[in-house]
Amino acid sequence: MKKRLILALALVLSLLPLAAPQAQEKPLRIGIAQFADHPSLDNCREGFIQGLAEAGFEDGKSIALDYRNAQADMGLTALIASSFVDNGYDLICAIATPMAMTAVNTADGKIPVIYSAVSAPVEAGLAGSDGLSAANATGTSDQLPVKAQLALIRAFQPEARTLGLLYTVGEVNSQVQAKQYEQLAPEFGFEVVSSTVTAGGDVALALPGLLARADCLSMLTDNTVVQYLDVVLDQAEAAGVPVYGSEIEQVKNGCLAAVGIDYLALGRQTGRMAARVLKGEAAGSIPFEVMQDSALYYNSGAMQRLGLALPAAIEGSIQDTAENPQ
Amino acid sequence: MLELKEIRLVYNPGTAREKCLFDGFGLRVPDGQFVSIVGSNGSGKTSLLNLICGTILPQGGHVRMDDRDITAWPEHRRLRRIGRIHQNPAAGTCAGMTLLENMSLADSKFKRMNLMPGTDRRKVQGYREQLRQMGLGLEDMLHQRAGSLSGGQRQALAMAMCVLTPIEFLILDEHTAALDPKTADTIMELTDRLVRERRLTALMVTHNLRYATSFGNRLVMMHQGGVVLDRAGAKKAATRLEDVLGLFTDISVELGN
Amino acid sequence: MTLALQSFQNALPSTLEQGFIYALMALGVLMTYHILDFPDLTVDGSFPLGGAVGSSLIVSGAPPAAALLAALAAGAAAGLVTGLIHVKLKIRALFSGIIVMTALYSVNLRIAGGSALISIPRDKVTLFRNNALVSALPEGAATLVIAVVMALAVKALMDLFFKTRLGCLLRAAGDNGRVVTALGRDVGNVKILGLMMANALVALSGAVLCQQQRLFEISMGTGATVLSLASVIIGVNLFQRLERMRATTKAIVGALLYKACYSLAIALGLLPGDMKLVTAALFLAILAVGYRKRKGAPADA
Repeated sequence: MKKRLILALALVLSLLPLAAPQAQEKPLRIGIAQFADHPSLDNCREGFIQGLAEAGFEDGKSIALDYRNAQADMGLTALIASSFVDNGYDLICAIATPMAMTAVNTADGKIPVIYSAVSAPVEAGLAGSDGLSAANATGTSDQLPVKAQLALIRAFQPEARTLGLLYTVGEVNSQVQAKQYEQLAPEFGFEVVSSTVTAGGDVALALPGLLARADCLSMLTDNTVVQYLDVVLDQAEAAGVPVYGSEIEQVKNGCLAAVGIDYLALGRQTGRMAARVLKGEAAGSIPFEVMQDSALYYNSGAMQRLGLALPAAIEGSIQDTAENPQ
Repeated sequence: MLELKEIRLVYNPGTAREKCLFDGFGLRVPDGQFVSIVGSNGSGKTSLLNLICGTILPQGGHVRMDDRDITAWPEHRRLRRIGRIHQNPAAGTCAGMTLLENMSLADSKFKRMNLMPGTDRRKVQGYREQLRQMGLGLEDMLHQRAGSLSGGQRQALAMAMCVLTPIEFLILDEHTAALDPKTADTIMELTDRLVRERRLTALMVTHNLRYATSFGNRLVMMHQGGVVLDRAGAKKAATRLEDVLGLFTDISVELGN
Repeated sequence: MTLALQSFQNALPSTLEQGFIYALMALGVLMTYHILDFPDLTVDGSFPLGGAVGSSLIVSGAPPAAALLAALAAGAAAGLVTGLIHVKLKIRALFSGIIVMTALYSVNLRIAGGSALISIPRDKVTLFRNNALVSALPEGAATLVIAVVMALAVKALMDLFFKTRLGCLLRAAGDNGRVVTALGRDVGNVKILGLMMANALVALSGAVLCQQQRLFEISMGTGATVLSLASVIIGVNLFQRLERMRATTKAIVGALLYKACYSLAIALGLLPGDMKLVTAALFLAILAVGYRKRKGAPADA
């Protein structure tokens, strides 16, 4: 009985292509594959859609957008990528490194892949040192502007000596960024102390030790730790240690300040690149772009609570994100 | 020969429920004896069997098999020479495997565990014959799962598996208790035949005083970790059910049963 | 709806590829969960262990066969540790697996050279690329063919194994440990052997998957136990009435169905956040159908 049911189902499925009506002028199908549920990545996606629209590609008109979220599941990631490839989409937008890598490998050059929110495209094997990919792919990188961040921290805390980093050992973006901090921090007179966790639940446990040693904390674009930002802020504020964010949302939520990557802008940049590919440029001929627009943000409420003052040097170029600006 | 010497056994030592079952207990079973062990609940009958087989270890004392001190031997090592039939018919066979597979498994007891085929066609006739002697029709059910057998059939299968390879000692742990009276009788007859034919040294714990007096050549009654009756040979043969019943009732009343 | 089914159909080959690769893991878990009755959480650690070992070797130029063999050995080692902890230290099965799985996280990271991600370059020789076998097969079908052949080969070997003396002993250990003891054998050692074999297969699955997707990611083990258990349970429960169908077949079908559920959920294209809910609903549907059929069957005596 079971066997017959399965056989029947298989038979029906195999007859389907005969039943499907053939459309004439089909809109270009674009698959948006997002790795995880995450505000930064969501912003990225929104930006991407906006960027495409700005370049003349509107969802429902000349393009049909399909959005799938893998919810941080590697198995789903693989299936989503292959679903887009097998169904012959015209372009794939892959958001975040694991999805980007899977999409590029699955597409294997047959379909252009535009990636976004990939902190280290070269290390991830997505592009050579010349920024180009041999696999019909290109995209944008949310490399942290580490130098600018260090300068900002130095401006707020002229006497700080140790800079604390908290990140997940399993996230490759964090590993790369932590290395960058370790390399650049001495230039600004900082010594880096790090604490790693394997899961979000460990954040609360790792903080006390880190806060005891650090004069300030700087957030990386670590998916796990960012989700637990409230925990970080609570403990840090109680210990009187300022926390600097990695993007504007975090500053809104209570971080003291950040050289912010605006993921919305990053997404728009990505969308514009995708438009170029749709219009005929080869993805493999476009080097990946690092986010150019970064702006300074601070939260006056947090600043007051920490007993700090806005440095005169940056007063004009920094923007207050607090609800009720002081 | 099986022997327990100076056994000290305490249940739940160091807790509020600590109970000393045996203190200086001893029992010697010479070769060829078929001992029936009866007794009130909690008298230590099953613990005695477990001590011999190695299922539990004593806090003090020794267990001897022939001239070897086996106190430190793990259970599986002891069971190479001891066969045990449990009260639960499901305990001695593998329910998910066929009778043939079960018999083959038992047959491989002393063979090397390797990648040779698990069942041997040429042995099938031999297994059939062994099972036929049980008299329960098992010889025609070789390809059925052991789990589909009735309680009595499974017990018979367990016994067939037990004696497929040479053993010297047979431990019977109330092995008819879970069976209906007719099947119990059949299994008991089987047991008696096996013990006599293969000249096994057997220890049988039973609640059935009739079996205890009718079968075997030694009767031991236990009460609260000690032996209150021990008759062997002619004296045992002369013992009638009524005598034993009387004593048994006394000790049971003493316990408040 | 037709669009969704069409989409699902188009993605079927890829779904089957994934299904057959994960089927290797399901076969391993079949050994521990279904046969040995041992809930083994080591899998969450041994799956990426195979991936880490396999990928590192491939990247450094080792032939695919060597990488797979190394993965098998690594998995067996992991199973051995779990077994020893359980048998010798008498720690509960579930917890033994948890201990090893936790430790393996760090081990895997080290094997991967401290990196959470290994990318296998396009030009490397893997099981699925740049080798003689792939060149001989028709374009596009190579991956699926290789995956199917691997799964069926492992299945055939397992079926053969369970007919041997050792295999029967393993089955007995899971069925009734007392019987094994009565045979004069240490049932603990048998369990250890089973754990080693199972985790070797799981690690193999991880290595094969990494070669297929050319990517090792440290979190690939998260949920692996759940995934493989689900595959085994779906397969075994759904085909419970079909006694003639071997357990190994059921495990493979279960893995395929599991991936198909995910694939169908993707094809239906509902709210992305509801993906997992939809998948759960599909599992429930499958098991419910199996349950309805089972209600008529009498239990064992």
